[in-house]
Amino acid sequence: MSKLRNALRKVTVLSCTSAVAVFGVAACGSDDGSEASGGGEINISMTSFPDYIDPQLSYTLEGWEVLYNTYTPLLTYKHAKGEEGTSVVPGLAEEMPEISGDGKTYKLKLRSDMKYSDGTPIKASDFTYAIQRLFKADSGGSVFYSGIVGAPAYAEGTADTISGIVTDDNTGDITITLDSPNGTFENVLGLPFAAPVPPSTPLSDDATNNPPPSSGPFMITSVEAPQTMTLERNPNFQSVLDAGATEVADAGVDKIVVTQNKSNSAQVTGVEQNTIDFMVDPPDADRLQEVKTRFGERFRMEESINTYYFWMNNQTAPFNDVRVRQAVNYAIDPEALNRVFGGRMHPTQQVLPPGMPGYEEYKLYPGPDMNKAKALLAEANPADRDITVWTNDEPDRKRIGEYYHDVLNQMGFNATLKVIAGDVYFTTIGNQSTPDLDTGFGNWFQDFPHPDDFFRPLLNSDAILPTNGNNFSRASYPELDAKMNELLTKQLTDGDTEAQYAALDKAYMEQAAWAPYGNEQFTTFVSDRIDFDNAYHHLLFNQDWSALALK
Amino acid sequence: MTTPPDAIEAPGDPVLPVGVPAAQIRGRSPWYLAWLRLRRNKVSLAFGVLFLLIVVFCLAAPLWADHVAHTGPNENHITDTVMIDGQQVDVVSPDGTPIGPGLHGRYLLGADQNGRDVMVRLMYGGRTSIFIGVAAAVITTVLAILVGLLCGYYRGWIDTALSRVMDVVWAFPVLLLGIALGTALALGGLKIGALQVAGDSLWIPILIIGMVYVPYIARPIRGEILALREKEFVEAAVAQGKGPVRIMVGELLPNVVSTVIVFFTLNIANNMLLESALSFLGAGVRAPNASWGTMIADGYQTIYTAPHLTIVPGVMIVLTVLSLNVFGDGLRDALDPRAKIRLEH
Repeated sequence: MSKLRNALRKVTVLSCTSAVAVFGVAACGSDDGSEASGGGEINISMTSFPDYIDPQLSYTLEGWEVLYNTYTPLLTYKHAKGEEGTSVVPGLAEEMPEISGDGKTYKLKLRSDMKYSDGTPIKASDFTYAIQRLFKADSGGSVFYSGIVGAPAYAEGTADTISGIVTDDNTGDITITLDSPNGTFENVLGLPFAAPVPPSTPLSDDATNNPPPSSGPFMITSVEAPQTMTLERNPNFQSVLDAGATEVADAGVDKIVVTQNKSNSAQVTGVEQNTIDFMVDPPDADRLQEVKTRFGERFRMEESINTYYFWMNNQTAPFNDVRVRQAVNYAIDPEALNRVFGGRMHPTQQVLPPGMPGYEEYKLYPGPDMNKAKALLAEANPADRDITVWTNDEPDRKRIGEYYHDVLNQMGFNATLKVIAGDVYFTTIGNQSTPDLDTGFGNWFQDFPHPDDFFRPLLNSDAILPTNGNNFSRASYPELDAKMNELLTKQLTDGDTEAQYAALDKAYMEQAAWAPYGNEQFTTFVSDRIDFDNAYHHLLFNQDWSALALK
Repeated sequence: MTTPPDAIEAPGDPVLPVGVPAAQIRGRSPWYLAWLRLRRNKVSLAFGVLFLLIVVFCLAAPLWADHVAHTGPNENHITDTVMIDGQQVDVVSPDGTPIGPGLHGRYLLGADQNGRDVMVRLMYGGRTSIFIGVAAAVITTVLAILVGLLCGYYRGWIDTALSRVMDVVWAFPVLLLGIALGTALALGGLKIGALQVAGDSLWIPILIIGMVYVPYIARPIRGEILALREKEFVEAAVAQGKGPVRIMVGELLPNVVSTVIVFFTLNIANNMLLESALSFLGAGVRAPNASWGTMIADGYQTIYTAPHLTIVPGVMIVLTVLSLNVFGDGLRDALDPRAKIRLEH
């Protein structure tokens, strides 16, 4: 999904979530997880090949969809549909971490006698090696782990090891010490970035062409990037199951062949004709209705945790006036944008999406109300009405930009639309030296199920960076920053933390820092051969490939 | 007084009329003779008229938009409804499918996915496409004449240097070169000294298209100038003391004008095709402005549910390019029946 790829690319600073491992639930495994289930071979198509086939480097949803079932971190996300799938559960670790009273020390214990797919024993020190790889290979995910004591020194080369990680290969004990409490750290430990890999993996190089041995139900047996790759059942995964990973689901098939196909329509036809078993991307709007009506028995819409919005530069005219930003919120019609997406979008007017802890539905700017918008704009009477609207060249993004451009002109602005290539869009608008960054398209997909992921990288003052910033609105509200920082030190389960995140959401929208308009839905569309009832969309990793099985 | 026959020197009438004194035979200019030849080529004339009709159709865009469609080319109507056969119908249905063509004033050719009137965009898009085609052809022709004259007249190192530059441009596939330039100039625009063009300006594709076709016209002109350079009338001009500029402009250029006119016509068609291709690939006309190329690019996303979005602008491109090519061929035959001018690339 190029859309998601772009969404995740923009993330440079914070982002991503979980990964591999521990599979719970799952309808495809036996209760004790001790028996492999199903068999046979299926093929999957995706429009964009993953950026890397390397757990420490991949930073796209396409990549994580593969890695979720090939590399198991110490903690992982439950293999379950809906919000249950956002629960962090033990993966290669025996239990959830024991956290010290000051919230800075995490103690875990690796399960014993587990093996990678090539037979190499899985050791506690492999976790340290994985974190070291993040820094030596310049992974985009390293930012999540820079709060570990000694990590910055290791990254800078002034230390040979990360002093904040202590492991014992004999006992499996792992102790992680942080500089300061971090309420998201359990989530971060569940990301594919933190999946242990053996020391035979190159420390500082991309391992895509020769991926490290796996610790999940599948192993990657061949990669011909960016065309195809093959996943096969991991022969040593039983050792992980035997070690007591009761939440882990086994593979539902013996082999998966993944192929890149740039034609969405050809993929749709392939699934319809049963030559493709599952397509990762949703059918284009052009084919969606046809699929819904003719293949409803093997197609369904799926929820995803994301927010689509228009950013507005809060620091420069005309959007430095809150009335102007509020006017935009009144003028936008989420239903119009839903139709651009072929009916796959829930309307919204807030930062947090449904399914995210802290989400409480509200609407501050009922509309669309163009008259109200014009009245607010007239009241603000900005001197500068010449603005530039930014979007990228992916078809739906382009149409969104064209719609937004027209709305702004109707309001009374003199808007110019700038459409640039999708693969450089977020780096361009995230670069402060780019001229005329007034307003434009933005979206965000959750990296992990914690509301901080929707505030800190996107709305915190510290996220206003010279390059690779994600605070495209240049929102800077010190009192809200302080609240955000305070909430980060708490666990979501502490008191009314979730309610406070909901209040934070509303506080940003009272400032109209963004003009949010929708939460995009995804799809499950499989061939006749696949057990459709068993297949499900995971809220963090898209389709759970371990749940794909032949009838 | 006997009126001399019009076709007296036209090809196909090889002999003078019997009994008409030579003094009474009216002289005919080469242009008039060309017109006589062209007039007899009915197919060519018909396509010429077709092209004019297309131009008129496109020029009428504001009238249609204001008085019939009541919407501009870039106005979105995604959630609007329109009355058809007494029923309110969504311009764009909740599943994103736009309304199709029909015999209703608004949305005569249907709407696109943003609820924009396809007829209005087609007319405005045609203005854009034809304007780019003609403007780029002017740039190409002027530059090609300049290069052709300099190379053919001076020869030597000037010819070598300019010809190699032309070779370099020629060596690039036109489309690839256009995409590269279009993409590079899209963000920051073009800034060369006092010349500043915004990235979303129509002049970006015009300049790109105008530049990339220069070698295709400059080379044959150079060849003709090289041959003409050796003719006696040039030696005579030199003997009269005329300078290089006067010889090039006053003696050589008039002798290649017919070639230039034919190339100009054919070049417009090629430019429109290239504009469509560049716009289709996102390196030409910038959204939300319409051109026939951008309309096809937008429309092919819905080729299953709304094929008219692609077919209608596609048909217009075919008709326009075909009319220009057929008319251009007729013009070539009329201006120089022995010529074998062909715009190849």
